[in-house]
Amino acid sequence: MKKGNIIKVSGPLVMAEAMEHANIQDLCYVGDMRLVGEIIEMRNDVASIQVYEETSGLGPGEPVETTGEALSVELGPGIVSQMFDGIQRPLDTFKAKTDSNFLVRGVNISALDRDKKWAFTATKAVGDQVEAGDIVGTVQETKVIEHRIMVPHGVKGTIKSIENGEFALNDVVYTIETEDGVKEQTLLQRWPVRRGRPFKRKLNPDKPMLTGQRVIDTFFPITKGGAAAVPGPFGAGKTVVQHQIAKFSDVDLVVYVGCGERGNEMTDVLNEFPELIDPNTGESLMERTILIANTSNMPVAAREASIYTGITIAEYFRDMGYSVAIMADSTSRWAEALREMSGRLEEMPGDEGYPAYLGSRIAEYYERAGRTLSIGSEDREGSITAIGAVSPPGGDTSEPVTQNTLRVVKVYWALDSSLAQKRHFPSVNWLTSYSLYLSEVGQFMNEELKQDWSNMVQHAMNILQEESELQEIVRLVGIESLSEKDRITMVIAQSLREDYLQQNAFDDVDTYTSRQKQFLMLDLILSLETEAREAMRLGAYFKEIIDGTEDLRDKIARAKYISEDNLDEISAIKQEIKDKVHDIVAEGGMTQNA
Amino acid sequence: MAHKIAVVGDKDSVLPFKILGFDVFAASTPQKARETIDSLADKDYGVIYLTEAMAKEIPDTIKRYDAEVQPAIILIPNHKGSLNIGKDRIQDNVEKAVGQNIL
Repeated sequence: MKKGNIIKVSGPLVMAEAMEHANIQDLCYVGDMRLVGEIIEMRNDVASIQVYEETSGLGPGEPVETTGEALSVELGPGIVSQMFDGIQRPLDTFKAKTDSNFLVRGVNISALDRDKKWAFTATKAVGDQVEAGDIVGTVQETKVIEHRIMVPHGVKGTIKSIENGEFALNDVVYTIETEDGVKEQTLLQRWPVRRGRPFKRKLNPDKPMLTGQRVIDTFFPITKGGAAAVPGPFGAGKTVVQHQIAKFSDVDLVVYVGCGERGNEMTDVLNEFPELIDPNTGESLMERTILIANTSNMPVAAREASIYTGITIAEYFRDMGYSVAIMADSTSRWAEALREMSGRLEEMPGDEGYPAYLGSRIAEYYERAGRTLSIGSEDREGSITAIGAVSPPGGDTSEPVTQNTLRVVKVYWALDSSLAQKRHFPSVNWLTSYSLYLSEVGQFMNEELKQDWSNMVQHAMNILQEESELQEIVRLVGIESLSEKDRITMVIAQSLREDYLQQNAFDDVDTYTSRQKQFLMLDLILSLETEAREAMRLGAYFKEIIDGTEDLRDKIARAKYISEDNLDEISAIKQEIKDKVHDIVAEGGMTQNA
Repeated sequence: MAHKIAVVGDKDSVLPFKILGFDVFAASTPQKARETIDSLADKDYGVIYLTEAMAKEIPDTIKRYDAEVQPAIILIPNHKGSLNIGKDRIQDNVEKAVGQNIL
């Protein structure tokens, strides 16, 4: 193979001459250490290469060799429960091979274990017609994920041989007779990360993704196939929100990309996830999780690639017919990696030094989310839900990364540092956040619960908005100046905030709330309001209602700690409210007015 | 806009007000007084005179209308003499408004 020569090294960016035979986006081996890099710019015979490993010690004159292939991920059994770096090197194998806790340079490891044997069960028989995307057989990869082996892209024909048995990744499992001869197929596929995997058609995402987080599911729901952004300043709880969704969302598979954040956040995931039980399957969460880690001390260029690696893996499982959620924590670090490379390439900077193409790159990423029909003859439906954390510096969401993200996502969970300081977690601000899926999800929930869920949610939101207006008056002239009606609103809003929206991620029961429990809890608070207003109409005074329901309001506050198995207790409290309020009215002797 | 004036209290004290053309409502128990005042407040009454003796029993009700523009609840002595609650209330309000007791 012809080799080029390094002429310039600038951090992760290496320029090499005599590269006229190479193409843009080719993967290269750079220097004597054979560091992995990718060509991101070509000018005549000079290639600019972003190197995915540390470049210190590299100098001009060293050789650069192109592989002629784009940066690709390996897709096949053995991918689930793994932790990869940004260019899909498995980190535990890496550690075993290099005997180091940190990345050692120039190590070449295959992404998936070549030696392990997988039990393959054929679902197609010899003589069947197949096209790209059709499932020919399955491998039970973990307890919950059945890895469906699909015919690779661009292959179409008749199955010539296929059999059950134990196979390693590189063994020939089945052969297909195509127009250009017999093609041998293994369990393994490769796919270039920067190209979205093809699908037949995009569908409207209208099924909600249950996350078990009350503020999200009730007020700002996301759908399977939707995209959401979680912007928030330091300490507002972005990572906890992402972790909670990764833990409890009712999807089949979670890809968690730790992108430029602290290493201990990935450690948390590694410590917690294996022990946690998925409420939907009853198995350990790790059985359905894939981790991609590029922590802040890992090379910057690989950070740029990690997002694409993650979403390509997600797309592969989507094509199998699974619903997949991909979390990226945080896309700001990824944008900063883009900025660093762009700066070194001496491109014209845009807003705040970010490259002018930032918006299109962000859009490109989120557009790969969606609910789709897979290619092939089987019309499987799968979805990717993309949830990206954004860390705007200083919490100022008018910066380019947040703004460009908001242009493409339909759900916005604005984390608020002032709420976080008040220890209101999850600190999703209910006044600034929004979800454009609210009407679709409302309809779905109305049918699911056979109740008027969407109006309840709308009513609760109105109370919260009214509270913020009243809050202004209270700040100026004091609570005494409010009418009794408004004071009821304030009490109910406070109950909504403290008893419903606040949720303790570290409490065993409170950490996850099912749909049914969310409905009961919201119904409980709203029924207190209805009863209180009715009592007031019958002549009871605000003070009497408040004093009389003190114990009850305490019970409402504790409703979140009632476990999913004892939901009847919540309904019992509701009945108690009715009885108690009737007593209050009777004591006032006002019933005859009614 | 014209408003009506009501007088609430024990029968003996309020009856003379009928001569002046006020609407008179006799209330024998605090419970009754509270109901009467609440229902009058809903109607078009601008001023409600209430006997001090009765007002002493229903402070919550008085307080409830403190912040409202109407009805204004004015305390009056009853036929047994003054309890000074009415005067104290005026003094308190003046003190709140001007910052010191000028009466």
